[in-house]
Amino acid sequence: MSGPRVDADLIRELAALLDETGLSEIEWEGEGQRVRVAKHAAAAPVAREPVPEQRPAPPPAAPAPAMDDASHPGAVTSPMVGTAYLSPEPDARPFVQAGDTVAEGQTLLIVEAMKMMNPIPAPRSGRVAQVLVSNGAPVEYGEVLVIID
Amino acid sequence: MAPGAAGDGPQIPLAPPGYRLRRFDDLDSTNDEAKRQAAQGAPDGTVFVARRQTAGRGRRGRSWESPEGNLYASLLLRPDYGPQQAAQLSFVTALALADTVRAILPAKKRVELRWPNDVLVKGRKISGILLEAAPGGGGLDWLVIGCGINIVSHPKLQERKATSLAAEGAPAPALDSVLEIFLKTLHGGIARWEANGFAPVREAWLTSAHGVGRPIVVRLPGETLRGTFSALDENGALKLELAGGGERLVTGGEVYFGRGGETQPAQNGAQG
Repeated sequence: MSGPRVDADLIRELAALLDETGLSEIEWEGEGQRVRVAKHAAAAPVAREPVPEQRPAPPPAAPAPAMDDASHPGAVTSPMVGTAYLSPEPDARPFVQAGDTVAEGQTLLIVEAMKMMNPIPAPRSGRVAQVLVSNGAPVEYGEVLVIID
Repeated sequence: MAPGAAGDGPQIPLAPPGYRLRRFDDLDSTNDEAKRQAAQGAPDGTVFVARRQTAGRGRRGRSWESPEGNLYASLLLRPDYGPQQAAQLSFVTALALADTVRAILPAKKRVELRWPNDVLVKGRKISGILLEAAPGGGGLDWLVIGCGINIVSHPKLQERKATSLAAEGAPAPALDSVLEIFLKTLHGGIARWEANGFAPVREAWLTSAHGVGRPIVVRLPGETLRGTFSALDENGALKLELAGGGERLVTGGEVYFGRGGETQPAQNGAQG
């Protein structure tokens, strides 16, 4: 913990909670800072404010990039903190690559935590627009892994 | 391979209440059978046991030598908890395996746990665990906990030295009694975890942990991390104090103890 950096993990976590609960706004306060994550009609902009201030969240004109991904209807997020694997085995081809067409239920990648292998299925059929994590990368709960168009 | 049901073995009084035993002579792997049966609707608590596995495996495609005489078992669960919690069962299972091994081996043998779920006897690996989950309905549709215990034999590996109950002086360990002790211990461990959460599991695991406070090397597909195994976080992730400063939470990859990670990872044929 150092300096007034943007705590992207916290924001992601709050954003995931927002999606999960269907709420339109969550405010969190602690460690001398307050973070409010709010969801508006089109996108999910994020406001991070100094403690004393209270302003409405900015309009959805310039949402943070991560939130842009998170608000994408085809965003596939991680159900757990873990390690991402893009292929079934170290030397195997990746499950999917950008541009691939996938069927609902098809495995997109694996998230491992403590030797538990958790395949992440495509929530719907479509085309893989982006794979946002690299092989072996740590992933957070709620982090966008793949976007399906 | 078509599962050949084995009706020949003695039907042992092994399964704790709520568990149902399905025994086979040969399976590709007990985890694969459990996953197939899960897809067909097999209930929570079904245990798949094979005498031999033709394609036993560990994590990330590693093979698991599976000759007759050792234990190969997979427990199918239908959890009402999510994947983050389910991963804690890695530690619950490791503790159950360690207790099983302790119950069978002579009392003075040193039994330790290596993150996240290896059981070591005098520094040599005696068992392996692989958990596989399937998401569904906002949580998990099913979870398979696969375990192998080296009873009568173990692979002769250059790296990651292995051992077996027999090699460590267990007097004529019988597969069925090992299975019975293990299932009973695991069943009790899962019930306590469900009732009391992860904190007591974490405490118990740390009591037997190998290498906390010592230098480790973590190999991930894209990078190798070096540092000190400083702690276990509240979900079981390994806290790594990086040699160059900073901290990383490790949830996967290969962990090697010692400054240089003395043991090298094997591409194949290793039990891991």
